Amino acid sequence: MEKITKRFPGVVALDGVDFDLKEAEIHALVGENGAGKSTLIKILGGVHKPDAGTITLNNRRVYFHSPLDAQLAGISVIHQELNLVEELTVAENMFLGREKRWWFVDRKKMRQEAASIMEKLKFHVNPSEVVKNLNVSEKQLVSIAKALTYKAQIIVMDEPTAAITKTEVDRLFKIMKDLKTHGVSVIFISHRIEEIYEVADRVTILRDGKKIGTYDVGSVSKEDLIRMMVGRKIDDMYPKYNTPSSEVIFKVVNLRIPGKVHDVSFEVKRGEIFGIAGLVGSGKSEIAMGIFGAIRAHFDEMYLYDKRVSKISTPVDAIRHGIVMIPEDRKSQGLVLILDVLKNLSVANPEKVTRASFILDWKRAKEFSLKAVEDFRIKVSSIQQLVKNLSGGNQQKVVLSKFLYKSPKLVLLVEPTRGIDVGAKVEVYHLINRLANSGVGVVFISSELPEVVSLCDTVLVMHRGRAMALLTGSEVTQENILKAAAGVEVA
Amino acid sequence: MKKVIGFMRKYPAFTGLVGLLIVLSILSDRFMTVSNMLNVLRQASIQAILAFGMTVVIVSGGIDLSVGSVFAFSAVVLASILKSGSIFFAIVVALVIGGAFGAFNGIIVAKTKIQPFIVTLATMAIARSFTLVYTNGMPITGFSQSFRFIGRGEFLKVPMPVWIMFSVFVFTWYFLAKTKPGLYVYSIGGNEEATRLSGVKVDRYKILVYVISGVFSAVGAIVLTARLNSAQPIFGQGYELDAIAASVLGGASLSGGKGGVVGTLFGALIMGVINNGLNLLNVSPFYQQAVKGFVILAAVLMEREQ
Repeated sequence: MEKITKRFPGVVALDGVDFDLKEAEIHALVGENGAGKSTLIKILGGVHKPDAGTITLNNRRVYFHSPLDAQLAGISVIHQELNLVEELTVAENMFLGREKRWWFVDRKKMRQEAASIMEKLKFHVNPSEVVKNLNVSEKQLVSIAKALTYKAQIIVMDEPTAAITKTEVDRLFKIMKDLKTHGVSVIFISHRIEEIYEVADRVTILRDGKKIGTYDVGSVSKEDLIRMMVGRKIDDMYPKYNTPSSEVIFKVVNLRIPGKVHDVSFEVKRGEIFGIAGLVGSGKSEIAMGIFGAIRAHFDEMYLYDKRVSKISTPVDAIRHGIVMIPEDRKSQGLVLILDVLKNLSVANPEKVTRASFILDWKRAKEFSLKAVEDFRIKVSSIQQLVKNLSGGNQQKVVLSKFLYKSPKLVLLVEPTRGIDVGAKVEVYHLINRLANSGVGVVFISSELPEVVSLCDTVLVMHRGRAMALLTGSEVTQENILKAAAGVEVA
Repeated sequence: MKKVIGFMRKYPAFTGLVGLLIVLSILSDRFMTVSNMLNVLRQASIQAILAFGMTVVIVSGGIDLSVGSVFAFSAVVLASILKSGSIFFAIVVALVIGGAFGAFNGIIVAKTKIQPFIVTLATMAIARSFTLVYTNGMPITGFSQSFRFIGRGEFLKVPMPVWIMFSVFVFTWYFLAKTKPGLYVYSIGGNEEATRLSGVKVDRYKILVYVISGVFSAVGAIVLTARLNSAQPIFGQGYELDAIAASVLGGASLSGGKGGVVGTLFGALIMGVINNGLNLLNVSPFYQQAVKGFVILAAVLMEREQ
């Protein structure tokens, strides 16, 4: 791929990026959110067309007009949200759209072929099993097997390790290396630096839509890699000036969420930033949802500033007690995208925008929204701008401002920096520091280890719904968190 | 002028209505007269009342297929009480019946998460059946002069049904545009989960929208019963479709969060004008449904273009 450029309204997602892939290599692609990794992958996979630049495959210039074009050319992309049809079987998924024979499906032949491909992958799943009964890791392997039915020469994996266990990661890496011996090349995207050193041959770093460089993995240190990804010194990235004390302001004992969280207890001290880490599915975001009353949860005891909280069954209860949650997915949980900034802010703050408790006072609502826009430095053309037209960072600021005017005593932030640009991230970190210093309890839940390690004073690490480790001070390191998240005792 | 263009852009149904009025007044010299216009308004008023309720439900992300049957049941109970009891009592009972069916719909939708389409489809069948059982399939006719005034009387030369429709319009407009529950209705329709996580008692407001729709059905039933001096068990058949059509013509989105009664009023008037115009032009009534169908498709397509 040469000089690939792609513009979206208002941003240049890729700016003249070159990328080359050799036969039978594992090539890691790294960069922060918004660096352009997924855009590059989407261009390679035929989802987007580049505004400029060329793609050459086996010395032939190629043009992909659709994902199918790319697939037929031998490029298969395995997305994070796996594109399998849950209600069909493994074999049916592998041959979807290319069933043997027209109209009548030759299931027997399909099953046999599926089994032989899986034999090659040393992967044993019944081809007649319905996909929805498989776990994430097995589904990934089905996707890889599906790619092989297309005789894929290039397999792209977008963060395949984000949601699976250490053992499953090891199995996946073995398969990746196996594929290499069969002459297949793999492009591997991961946020975990260690994994790149474990499995990749070369690594390409993207930042802000530009290519920073391509290196042999052995020739570049972890520190240099991170510096190139972030583009500045890490101290600037993660401001930290909160002053922890020993006064406990929030405490929960034996929080239980059926099937998700088992007997988790923790306490948050005044001024500290309390982190919760763990893999996807470890129960870390459910802890916040449970405390906020958004999903059914039970606990033996809960205290907030010495006041006993007996029961929280809805978000309304939680907010009344002074607990707010910045939800994980701002688009589906945080915002009403088709409404404007003014209405989004008003819905969450009725007491600030009504008189006689139910009649809207649009003048007050406008004043309130203008203040929020100014306080949180939300970039909008006007407060009547629809939220769906804002950038990720500005959307997240709308979510934050929705909840922070409710004078909370405890703020649960779930992945508050996911998918927002670096500048907005730093603003969120500053905000978290200020919240902690103002005496509000801060629980910071994140999958991005660098920010957890840099910001948090104490980190609770979850593994399969249980509290695996409570790390404080110098124990808070990426290594310790990774270990505990994988279920290994931290010495 | 700028304001007019802005208004036309915001309400394509208004532009469509004006276009229809111009075309029909060219085609028929009996069309654009005061008495015919009042006639159109009177005929459209009942559908408009139901459509206002439907708009509220659609904005919340739901749908209410039961309005026609609830309309019929309210009408026959109203009529039977009128035969012996007071007008006031009969009207109150009719409104309560409408509200009760709405609450039934709303509670099931909010608490069981069954799709509103299914829930109100069931209620549609239930209420129709109640109506037939209650009347044994026979119409109830002949009411006092003072009750008939609601459907046939005039105030300041304007028919009573038009005044009632206008009052319901103002009430619904105020509710959606100026009150906190109205804001929540838009928010729930736009993203229910985000609204719930903002600390809104979502269930309460979902029930409310169906209650509003049910009560408006009963209001429509009172007007029609008074106008025809009769309540028929087959009342209201197909009214749910007219109400949905008027809402959609007026710019409401069936996926929720979008729409309003100003647009719906224009939508209902378009339907009324089409009916009236085709009659004046001596087009067979058999064509009416087809014309309406094409108008709805055209309107929605035009809106998508924007």
